[in-house]
Amino acid sequence: MAIIRYPNWPWADVSTALEDFERARRQMDRLVSAFTGQGAAPAVSGVFPALVVKENGDKIIVEAELPGINPQDLDINVHGNTLTLSGERKPDKVDGASYHRRERKWGSFRKAITLPDEVNPDAVQAECKNGVLTIILPKAEQTKPKKIAIKSE
Amino acid sequence: MTEKDLQIPEKKEVQSNAESTRNAPVFIPAVDILETEHDLTLLADMPGVPLDRVDIDLEGDQLTIRGSVLQENGAGRVLLKEYAVGDYYRQFTLSSDIDREKIQATIKDGVLRLVLPKAEAAKPRRIEVKSS
Repeated sequence: MAIIRYPNWPWADVSTALEDFERARRQMDRLVSAFTGQGAAPAVSGVFPALVVKENGDKIIVEAELPGINPQDLDINVHGNTLTLSGERKPDKVDGASYHRRERKWGSFRKAITLPDEVNPDAVQAECKNGVLTIILPKAEQTKPKKIAIKSE
Repeated sequence: MTEKDLQIPEKKEVQSNAESTRNAPVFIPAVDILETEHDLTLLADMPGVPLDRVDIDLEGDQLTIRGSVLQENGAGRVLLKEYAVGDYYRQFTLSSDIDREKIQATIKDGVLRLVLPKAEAAKPRRIEVKSS
């Protein structure tokens, strides 16, 4: 008896079709978020504080929303290409008050993040404005792109 | 007080029929509301909002807080985005009478503090329990 294969029959490809569909869905998600540039930002690391990391030429910019945190209670450390942020948010105390709502959280935090490049730790600047922390980290000299001249004879 | 770890606050978007004119999401700020004998204090987390961009409106017993975030869109390629930046909006219905002349609003480190003094008539009076 001859065994006939039907490679082009649709059910032979169900698993690949599902994979294709999944890939298309992911591409669609990426496309949508690239267009809107916002929307529900997923908490990637799940560790407080949530960060936005940007790259601008030879600088890396790290931003975090830290409302109610006194800049003096913040500790920023750079070691190699690891940035560590730690601090504490203290509860606001009002004597003799009763609470109707208490949604704002307090406590301490410690977060480490690996930067995409080595940075120059001596030139790091940090600023806290309206509860938003901005850290500007210039890249280390050796990681900056260098223009290579081509010699012509 | 025991030490505890802070969690990333979930930013809830306002569900509203009215569309905003700015192309930014609008979030519900987390608030604390405290009441003392003399006033009602409202604390709202609104990072990125300077005082001149906060709009507080008290109409009847409806208190509306609006905060427009000041986005300094520094050019750059975004490598990681764990949160979205947007405006803030929240409405409350106040139960006690407020002395509107004396409302104070301050902002510090991204936290709005709104002190709403109670009107004389609304201050609590001690109720004597008579025993017969």
